[in-house]
Amino acid sequence: MADADEAWVPPSRWPELAGVTPVPQDDGPSPVVPIAYRDDFREVMDYFRALYFAGERSPRALRLTAAAIELNPGNYTVWHFRRLILEALDSDFLEEMNFVDKIAESNPKNYQIWHHKRWLAEKLGPDVANKEHEFTKTILATDSKNYHAWSHRQWVLQSLGGWEGELQYCNQLLEEDIFNNSAWNQRYLVITRSPLLGGMTAMRDSEVDYTIEAILLNPQNESPWRYLKGLYKGENSLLLADERISGVCVKVLKNDWSCVFALSLLLDLLRLGLQPSDELKDTIEGMKSSDPELADADLATAVCSILQKCDPLRVNYWSWYKTTLSS
Amino acid sequence: MGKPELADFARAHHVAFFDAMATELPGEYAPQEVNHLTLAYFAVGGLSLLRELDRVSKDKIVEWVLSFQTHPQAISDIDNQIFLGFCGSRSTQFSLANAKDPCHNVSHLASTYSALATLKIVGYDLANIDSNALLSSMKLLQQPDGSFMPTHIGAETDLRFVYCAAAICSMLDDWTGMDKLKAKDYILNCQSYDGGFGMVPGSESHGGGTFCAVAALHLMGFIQVDLASNLLESAPIDTRMLLEWCLQRQVTDGGFQGRRNKDSDTCYAFWVGGVLKIIGAYHLIDHCALREFLLTCQSPYGGFTKFPNQRIPDIYHSYYGLAALSLLEEEGLELLCVELGILAAAL
Repeated sequence: MADADEAWVPPSRWPELAGVTPVPQDDGPSPVVPIAYRDDFREVMDYFRALYFAGERSPRALRLTAAAIELNPGNYTVWHFRRLILEALDSDFLEEMNFVDKIAESNPKNYQIWHHKRWLAEKLGPDVANKEHEFTKTILATDSKNYHAWSHRQWVLQSLGGWEGELQYCNQLLEEDIFNNSAWNQRYLVITRSPLLGGMTAMRDSEVDYTIEAILLNPQNESPWRYLKGLYKGENSLLLADERISGVCVKVLKNDWSCVFALSLLLDLLRLGLQPSDELKDTIEGMKSSDPELADADLATAVCSILQKCDPLRVNYWSWYKTTLSS
Repeated sequence: MGKPELADFARAHHVAFFDAMATELPGEYAPQEVNHLTLAYFAVGGLSLLRELDRVSKDKIVEWVLSFQTHPQAISDIDNQIFLGFCGSRSTQFSLANAKDPCHNVSHLASTYSALATLKIVGYDLANIDSNALLSSMKLLQQPDGSFMPTHIGAETDLRFVYCAAAICSMLDDWTGMDKLKAKDYILNCQSYDGGFGMVPGSESHGGGTFCAVAALHLMGFIQVDLASNLLESAPIDTRMLLEWCLQRQVTDGGFQGRRNKDSDTCYAFWVGGVLKIIGAYHLIDHCALREFLLTCQSPYGGFTKFPNQRIPDIYHSYYGLAALSLLEEEGLELLCVELGILAAAL
């Protein structure tokens, strides 16, 4: 089998495949949108077909699938054939996991590779949880938002365990990049699903404090604002009762009255029936004074008008929002 | 350096690009050959949007696509839970005369969707498709949680395949192929705390996942065409939060991002724009800014690139660039049936 550093040897020159007759692809009548296959690709798939048709379950077939995977890692039939061989040969699944991890490093967005890892992890069981977490950590260290890596990580947590360090891992990622929305999303999963924490009811209070701190570090980051609202999903009365929520809006707006996320959250609170504090009323009055047209507007309408100016990309939305306020 | 000239919609270049792709896909596409039918859908779909379908032979396309359908070889095929849909490529298609026992044709939900969509685009009457075995075997791919596995040999399950199943049932006008209520439940479980949808429950809200969720719900009849109805308390999803999530995906360069705090990318103008179109809120985006963004994603060689001001186009972003401009009702482009991803005129 070819190594990254060695020249690629086509299967037709493998001694162990000497007796095998490659099976060409039958492209059928008048192929449409034909693909200009290169010779190496065509050859390796021809040998794959030969061994697959023969129903072979041998070490040489295993090696051939590795060669096919190198050129055509998206072909799920090749992966399926490999799995049949692995089972028939009673292979070492840990060794196979190491093999696929190497391939994943250079193909981190390939669905078939991650599915193969899941298939192996299911066979290996909870003992492999930490190894999988270490692996996804490695992938995320290069691309902290790799969707496949996050999906796999979430699946391992929920199927095989390993929750112990997960909240801390989220903290670490957010320290590195507080804009990392994947990490915020993971945080939500941990808070709500970890069997080691108490669920949303137990965690909400400390999470609100954590999130507000993140907002104040950079109020232009949308992620913590949405997360904050998410902490109160389905609990509007609790949301309105938590003074810290309107509090952070006021604090941010006093510093920068054009902060769209603060204005937007404030608007939602008002729409839901927030009884504004005097401080809040004063802050909005201060913003209104810059525009004489807003003099008579109620708080929510005023905030909407300010948003139309501060968030011009969404001016149509804020205009529409305004019309819903009167109803 | 001065501001670059505002781009025009380079229609002739795009026609040349799609014509070239339909004639032959370069070797760089070989690693995607398992999805050959989908690549063909992009090529044919692109030409159809440009009103240039006459450049290909519709009869040849029909014959070629139909040759990928897996017909039951024996009664046992149906018992053995083999999916009798369409294979995506010759490499997943095996003549049973030559093959040993486990070498079934491996039909795939995505290829089946691509096959039916392509057939509809070129005007083939899907009533001619032998769909009974297709639909009853497809139902076996549905999982207890409502999601779909795309092949019978095992693969990842996520929203993409719920969408494919719904689109297949819709195009065949036969919903015996899936349990709609179970599928709806799965979709609802994919709505994230911020209103968008992840590919699987718990995953980060994602433009592609959100399109699959909302388009599937619409096809199944759970979402209305006007925004007001969708915002009623009785709606199955939190449409208000979904609306905000979608609109927040349009960023300062005018394009749409697929996830919060990521770069804007051509294709999300279709995925996210499409969601807004489906729920009746497309008029709320900044059309001018989006159009300008898309025009900067045109490749000098024709077609579209993933990001602005790049040179090398790919067929996926080229198709979705055109589809996004079609949503904007760009002159010279056909209108789309958004939820099915085919010309409105093909319905």
